[in-house]
Amino acid sequence: MATDRRTFLKLSAVAGGAVTLGGLPRIAFGGDARESSAAFEGVRAPLNILILGGTGFTGPEQVEYAIKRGHSVTLLNRNKTRPDFFKGRVEQLIGDLNGDVSALKGKKFDVVIDNPTTAPAWVRNAAQYLKGNTKHYIYISTISVYKNSNKPWADESDALSPMPAGVDPYTVQPKDWGKYYGELKTESEAEVARQYPGIHTIIRPGLIVGPLDRSDRFTYWPYRIDKGGEVLAPGDGDDPVQFIDSRDIAEWTIRVAENHTLGTFNATGPAKPLTMAEMLYGIKAVTTAGAQFTWVPADFLKEQNIQPWSNMPVWIPDSPDEVGDSRRSIANALAAGLTFRPLAVTAKDTLDWNKTRPAGELQALAEGRRAGISAEREAQVLAAWHSRKGAKPK
Amino acid sequence: MTTSRRTFLKVSAAAGGAIALGSLADAASAAEPIPHAPKKLKILILGGTGFTGPEQVEYAIKRGHEVTLINRNKTRPDFFKGRVEQLIGDLEGDMSALQGRKFDVVIDNPTTAPKWVRNVAQYMKGNTSHYIFISTLSVYPDNSHPGADETDKLTPMPDGLDPYSVPGSQARQHYGALKTESEAEVQRQYPNAFTIIRPGLIVGPLDQTDRFTYWPYRIDKGGEVLAPGDGNDPVQFIDSRDLAEWTIRMAENRELGIYNAMGPAKKMTMREMLEGIRSAIGSKATFTWVPADFLSKHGVRQWQHMPVWIAPRPQSIGFSARSNARAIAKGLTFRPLAVTARDTLAWNKTRPADQLEKLAQGAVNGLSAEKEKEVLDAWKQESKSGETR
Repeated sequence: MATDRRTFLKLSAVAGGAVTLGGLPRIAFGGDARESSAAFEGVRAPLNILILGGTGFTGPEQVEYAIKRGHSVTLLNRNKTRPDFFKGRVEQLIGDLNGDVSALKGKKFDVVIDNPTTAPAWVRNAAQYLKGNTKHYIYISTISVYKNSNKPWADESDALSPMPAGVDPYTVQPKDWGKYYGELKTESEAEVARQYPGIHTIIRPGLIVGPLDRSDRFTYWPYRIDKGGEVLAPGDGDDPVQFIDSRDIAEWTIRVAENHTLGTFNATGPAKPLTMAEMLYGIKAVTTAGAQFTWVPADFLKEQNIQPWSNMPVWIPDSPDEVGDSRRSIANALAAGLTFRPLAVTAKDTLDWNKTRPAGELQALAEGRRAGISAEREAQVLAAWHSRKGAKPK
Repeated sequence: MTTSRRTFLKVSAAAGGAIALGSLADAASAAEPIPHAPKKLKILILGGTGFTGPEQVEYAIKRGHEVTLINRNKTRPDFFKGRVEQLIGDLEGDMSALQGRKFDVVIDNPTTAPKWVRNVAQYMKGNTSHYIFISTLSVYPDNSHPGADETDKLTPMPDGLDPYSVPGSQARQHYGALKTESEAEVQRQYPNAFTIIRPGLIVGPLDQTDRFTYWPYRIDKGGEVLAPGDGNDPVQFIDSRDLAEWTIRMAENRELGIYNAMGPAKKMTMREMLEGIRSAIGSKATFTWVPADFLSKHGVRQWQHMPVWIAPRPQSIGFSARSNARAIAKGLTFRPLAVTARDTLAWNKTRPADQLEKLAQGAVNGLSAEKEKEVLDAWKQESKSGETR
């Protein structure tokens, strides 16, 4: 995608204006009243920040917010994901965490934010140049590092996923990165702790959602509800959900840098428990098509081969083995200043952004290829459910 | 209140910015200029300084129309000074300022008695090509049929009471009947040139009744919120801007006929409404849903204490399920609930202290914090004893 950052913002704004929904403001990229006034005055000293990656999903939000807060930003990446996305606004270094990062040679930073690392070798690679040359290393890990999900409201001390015996975490082949995702992130965290003792922060986000997310793992819902009609909704509505707006996590990450907050933090939301029904009704509030929800029990969905999470995004049915999914404690992050946009803002911005996506991505969303389900599949399951119940919905 | 319209808008915007959620300016009008109507109309608005009226005026001006107001200049004196022609008149008394005037369309907001229609008609009959009367859903006496349309039967005046001489003291008691009679008078005075719009509960900024505002206000306060029923009861309401803008478009298109006017487009439940408001304002409030019978036993009234909500009883099952198909077919559209909720909350924060105090006490509508807690505590007692039984 060759669209640069400014063009992208322009496209978003146009799309925002084109929808007839009126109202919710485009506070997508830090145009929040909160940020434009009081909060910005709180920055003590501008920092020299190195962001590894920075052009994917959460990274661009970190960059925007850091620039607004008066920091100077250097990016290091392959310049492939969104080439020259921040051209002229940041210092741009070319490097590959899985290869040559010698562009870092001789550089010093106040803080490094490591977004892309998926294997401990990457941490070691960057540390050749950065160890001793940064005062703070923030590693964006994942909530997938945890081994079990059978305890509700487990905190950061919960058991992690070690590498299976006999597998060397430093030589796992790229084709197996997906297979060992949680294990490799666990090992990467450990490598960060070894390389930057006493000066590291580990952030473990849950499901990250919002504009720029290409995974459709939340976007499906605003998109589907905005279409209107009868919407297949999973479970009885009471299953818990957790997710975090990419802007919320990005902005908090920058504030963590500013405050030199160290430690390990789960980072998901919202602040108080939210159920699936509350989430879907909250999303409905930014639409006007008048979607009607039909809640279909988990067992029936299973029979119909509708998968939690992938086909019914965000949703994980409550069960003893999964009771801790969507129930991770975020008390430590809240105490360290993590805040959340209203759900309506996340939903509206995601919806507006979705309408600017290339045709191919929209087609994939309509077909439920990444996450969600197609309209045909949804209609089939609803029809099966109504015939099982022997009655049409009111 | 002497705040002019411009000052008011400025105050609202500032308030919107002050809340941590970001402003909720009406992006539809802020981002894109509203296009002018194909043909400029000379519009007379009766009233125009209350709740929906100001939104009609703003939208009409944006659409390029020429607006004349006639009112007592009392509700918000000089609110639109310099932006509209301002005539002084009293529907209950002297309307001679209309003498010799001609308009393309008259929009009648304030009329609550048929004699007001007659009073205006002395000057306007034959001098306007379209008369739009803002009536009310309260013209319908029977709320037992969900989905009832505009052909539903209306409220007759009780025997022996002359609709033209009902004393002011009884006007409220006969509100639906007097609006019905006013509709009939409009039809007699302006045959084939009238539109009758019957709004449901009108909500949004400028609403002094707290009949929706309570919820954004209450949810924004956070904590445990008393919520009525099981969450599945339907709700209907309309944002004053949606109603006002559609009214102007009805004038532009010279759409005649009779229309129920409320939203949303499709069924919305009480729970969807409250969760939608919570989503819009980013509140951490939690809801405790308390059954209708328990509320009734504890003196918590539907609609008044629990705004928007009507308990699902046979005689009122159709109250929040009126058909709006006719209006939608003529272009009635709706803002998202999130916009209505956030605008209402932002506006509420700009209200004078005495109004906010009344809201806090549930003096107009809604429930005081004390009463709410009392009922929640009683409900918990009841639930507990239910469990041990």
